[in-house]
Amino acid sequence: MKIWLLISVLASLGLPALAQKNYDVSLIPKTLLARAGAVIRNDETTIEVKGLDEVYYRKKHAITILNESALDEASLVIGYDKTTSIRSVSGRIFDESGNPIFKISEKNMQDRSAVSDVSLFDDDRVKFFSPAKLSYPFTIEYEYEIRTRQSLFFPSWIPMRTTGVAVESSVLNFVCPESFILRFKELNFKGKADESLSEGIKTYRWQLNNVNAIRDEPFSPHYEDYLPTVKLAPEKFAYKNLKGSFSNWEEFGRWMSDNLLKGRDELSEPTKAHILGLVKNISDPKEKAKKIYSYMQSKTRYISVQIGIGGYQPYPALDVDRLGYGDCKGLVNYMQALLKVAGIESYYTIVQSGSFKKDIMPDFTSLQGDHIILCLPFKNDTTWLECTSKDAPFGFLGDFTDDRYVIACTPQGGKVMRTPRLSATDNKQIRTANFKIADNGSLSGKMTTLFSGAQYDNHHTLLNEAYTEQKKKLPKLYTLPNLEIEFLEFTQHKDASPETREIITLNSSNYCNINEGRLSIKMNGLNQMRPLKEIRNRVNPVKVPRGFYDEDTITYLLPEGYKIGLPPKSTIIENAFGKYSANVTINGKTITYKRTMLLNEGYYTAEQYDSLVTFFQEISDADNLIAILNKI
Amino acid sequence: MKKILFTAGFMILSMLSDAQDFTFGKPTAQQFELKRYDKDTSAAAVVLKEYGKAYISNNDLAVVFEYHVRIKIFNSKGYNSGNVEIPLRKSDANTFEKVRDIKGITFFVDENNLIRNTELEAKQIFKESKAGKYHDLVKFAMPNVKDGSIIEYSYVIESPYRFNFRTWEFQSDIPKAYSEFCAVIPGVYNYNVSIRGPLRLTRDEAVLEKECFSPGGGWKADCSKLTYIMENVPAFVEEDYMTAASNFKSAMYFELSDYSDYRGAKHKVTKEWKDVDRELKTDESFGLQLKRKDFFKDRLEPVVAGKTSDIDKAKAIYTFIKSQYKWNHVYGCYAEEGIKKSFEKRSGNVGDINLALVAAMNSAEIKAEPIILSTRSNGTVNTLFPVLSDFNYVICRVTIDETSYMLDATDPLLPFGLLPIRCMNDKGRLVSLDKPSSWIDLSASQKEHQTVTMKLSMDNAGKIKGTMDILSSGYEAYNKRVAIKKFNSVDEYVEDLDERLPKVKFIKSQIFNLDTLESGLRESFEIEITNTEKDQFYLNPFFMDRNSSNPFKLAERTYPVDLGSPSESRMVVQMTFPDNFDVTNKPKSAALALPNNGGKFISDTKIEGNTLMLNSIVQLSRPIYTSEEYHYLKALFTQVSQVKNTNITFKKKI
Repeated sequence: MKIWLLISVLASLGLPALAQKNYDVSLIPKTLLARAGAVIRNDETTIEVKGLDEVYYRKKHAITILNESALDEASLVIGYDKTTSIRSVSGRIFDESGNPIFKISEKNMQDRSAVSDVSLFDDDRVKFFSPAKLSYPFTIEYEYEIRTRQSLFFPSWIPMRTTGVAVESSVLNFVCPESFILRFKELNFKGKADESLSEGIKTYRWQLNNVNAIRDEPFSPHYEDYLPTVKLAPEKFAYKNLKGSFSNWEEFGRWMSDNLLKGRDELSEPTKAHILGLVKNISDPKEKAKKIYSYMQSKTRYISVQIGIGGYQPYPALDVDRLGYGDCKGLVNYMQALLKVAGIESYYTIVQSGSFKKDIMPDFTSLQGDHIILCLPFKNDTTWLECTSKDAPFGFLGDFTDDRYVIACTPQGGKVMRTPRLSATDNKQIRTANFKIADNGSLSGKMTTLFSGAQYDNHHTLLNEAYTEQKKKLPKLYTLPNLEIEFLEFTQHKDASPETREIITLNSSNYCNINEGRLSIKMNGLNQMRPLKEIRNRVNPVKVPRGFYDEDTITYLLPEGYKIGLPPKSTIIENAFGKYSANVTINGKTITYKRTMLLNEGYYTAEQYDSLVTFFQEISDADNLIAILNKI
Repeated sequence: MKKILFTAGFMILSMLSDAQDFTFGKPTAQQFELKRYDKDTSAAAVVLKEYGKAYISNNDLAVVFEYHVRIKIFNSKGYNSGNVEIPLRKSDANTFEKVRDIKGITFFVDENNLIRNTELEAKQIFKESKAGKYHDLVKFAMPNVKDGSIIEYSYVIESPYRFNFRTWEFQSDIPKAYSEFCAVIPGVYNYNVSIRGPLRLTRDEAVLEKECFSPGGGWKADCSKLTYIMENVPAFVEEDYMTAASNFKSAMYFELSDYSDYRGAKHKVTKEWKDVDRELKTDESFGLQLKRKDFFKDRLEPVVAGKTSDIDKAKAIYTFIKSQYKWNHVYGCYAEEGIKKSFEKRSGNVGDINLALVAAMNSAEIKAEPIILSTRSNGTVNTLFPVLSDFNYVICRVTIDETSYMLDATDPLLPFGLLPIRCMNDKGRLVSLDKPSSWIDLSASQKEHQTVTMKLSMDNAGKIKGTMDILSSGYEAYNKRVAIKKFNSVDEYVEDLDERLPKVKFIKSQIFNLDTLESGLRESFEIEITNTEKDQFYLNPFFMDRNSSNPFKLAERTYPVDLGSPSESRMVVQMTFPDNFDVTNKPKSAALALPNNGGKFISDTKIEGNTLMLNSIVQLSRPIYTSEEYHYLKALFTQVSQVKNTNITFKKKI
């Protein structure tokens, strides 16, 4: 949603051309068939740099589709935009024995815009083809050539990118003049690049053969942590007419700053005067920044507009000021310009966003990341701002961009920095509830929940809704039977460690099960752990990307005419993954249930996954605790 | 839901008033001060005023549509009203809609509490070509949209598509204080006009405009100027389990019934079903396709060889057509490529495939006719007069020994006689080549049906072993087959089940009739359930249900609940447990019925000696329940959910 890079066009590339191969399905090595719905027979990508603004991608891709589950893999999608043109495309379809049965040419392909619904404007387009009715198995082979007028960005080579697809052969060739300096980084790749030089032309070649299909495994790390990948970047490059070079983050940051940001921070005189007026009685720079941030939040709204230099360049501050909207680049640049008026330094900072943390690689400089935030380097008090949200607290990034390496672009050069971490015990949900059980089994009462850290935004979707809508939507978050909300209130405490408080007065008829004079009360109807899926013969290491701590204290006032039997039993589970406890205390007519759950952030081996499943399952079982009352 | 207002012609002449557009860019002081919309205080934005006018151009006979709106924004949830998208239809390089004269202005209160305005800049208007196969999009974002802003914009669309004139939606996702539409229709054009939705017009009137239509060459005609006004229009809020929003949204629809050309010759466009029938029969993309029977003659010979009964032949042909075509996911009741070409390409739209099915059946001398219909997401069709553009799908009906079967060959997993849920939308029109067309009820011929049978026994350690048999038929079997086919193999499907339920081990499994579509799908498992605790064990027999909470959560319901098909799901459990254990908690017994034989829920758990027997039936006998019946439905599912969420507890006797 808040993407700043537009080169997604090229990101789908992965392949090129050799002598005719025999696509007889029986020639596929048997070991590759395990878990495979399709087998990539041959995938060859050649990237040829002829000049800095003349780069060719030649791709040949042949895949055998074994059954319906992998039919989508038979489709071809080629993205293009104003810098990229498709020079040729063709293909053939082969039957089980490898005999050609159908030819594909450019006229068989459809063309459409690839603009996402959320974007006001960008110029991505795609051509696509998917085959007609065929009996399985069949093989489809595509060949195409793309020319692009930029050498700033090269797609990574990721030979195994889809679950359920085995790879017989995958190759990347990079061909360039001897003078062209290619930087590359191999990740999880056992081999090495073959490099050769002939008549002033350098060739690099990476190859991977006979790899089995991968599975979708929960709690897997980022694919760059376990799948073979080669990342490529130029030293000198062009983007159409714009030229530049960088080989480390410092140079990259300077290039960004000089070429894409410089001069875009101008503001009108009235705006400058207004900012100076806003902060004139404030001496603390951080307080000034806070004031300006809330001004910026009230003045602007986020809209995705991807234009200019592949979508890397922000809208000028003057435009954002006049129009009152911008994308992440435009809004960060605008905020930076406003701060500059008040004499506050800040850095335009590139980050890979998402709750699943992903670093900008500190040791490999290339176009990375998909979002921009603003860094305010106050002495010993570095402060970070998310500029696309109208209600984010000052200095709080939440789980969207926390705890990861980022690149700050400054006129003095780029800096690798790290955003603040939210630890498991920062990410809290603390609930207290006082409920009354009626003798017809209904439950009523009040509960108060505090959300903080990465959980601050848990119920964010409800916050800006009208009260009637909030009441309507809440039953989707709390699945108590026949939930009726009598009263509901959200309050937010907004600072660098913000907190959301939710107070609900509710009523749930049929909460308890009454049967043959027994009334059973679910002790935990509000926060139950879901079991985790098992994975036989897991391959990937395990990453719990983010920890949290939940605490529920619930008091039930029991109805007259019943007496409680034995107290439900307590549970304590503690291990490397976290800690869980649930216990019940009985005090006259009240039962108090207390549950705590801590999940640690962590990195574990594939073998430890089974224990994680057990941990989740034991918690899930313990969460089913009931108290049984007998009619007197 | 739908009623004919009148045929727009010359019949009505009422008082002469002059409805017209309001002045651009002049909000009233009152509008500036508005803090909330009193009629709906939860509204994040409200249309203060909206005016549209459509007429037929004297220049090129295009339908010219002028639109102008003024919207008040109350808070950030309403900012979306400031992001505008104008869809423009496009058939080919010569036939397309264009937009011109886009104008916009935002009034907002600035940081010094002064009212200021910003105009929409031409360079901030973007065009996205081919956003869909048949449309482009023009998009712009209004500047300075903030809490309290008033935005106002207007534009003109010129359209070569005269057939539907211009549809006017009174209702949108935000409420409207005032919405007015003016249609100026030359007397030489006759449109059927209908209004949809439950809301009433506040005012409507018709006046005559003399000689307003003069496309040249001395050709002149008077126009009727029709004005429709709706005030205080509530926001349209979608609910779960409903068909197309267009079925319920208040809107005006137009359909050209006939027109006269400059020589005075009258051309019927649509008028009566008998005209439509004739057109369809001779249409190159419809009726004429059905005559291509010979195309299939030779091709069908091996398919029906050895089949003696018509029903066996029909089934063989159905399977053959399904295996020959891949549906390209394009709807339509007409063939896009034609039967022959699409057969060679082995790919086609709904029209190509199902008209081929009709032709193939006929060629084998099995009585088959097409039924045209509108899918659930496309809205219901007008049953008062023929509106062909309402229809977007065609299926095949075969009649064998006086029994009819409705067939759709676009999905290889559909068994003979089962239509996909998307087709379950009220009525379709049976188009016969030799008889007048007629309405056909599309209601589901089969329901969603599942029976789970478990025979289990528990040992002293709490280990539960036994068998689980799941028999699915109708839509349930179809859904299961779709789910299984997403896996690389049946083994991987079972492995996934096993992995999702860590406490349950699937020791042996067998799936019957996966590819025998006409039989129910049977999954037979040998299972083992482990209990980790001591002396107290649990079983929830509904462990296969992914979601056992009540699907009906709203307190009130505005629109009918449309589930697509009737359904029935049964659970039968028989389980023995050791003598030294007691059952301390079990699902309560229930017996509830919905009014008007709408369905029932029965649940019963009995203990006899050391055997537990659980029986439960959830039956919904109709696909649609009215908003009045909603409370009963919700109450029924409260009980269902309670039973499904109760663990049976076994406790060691002390």
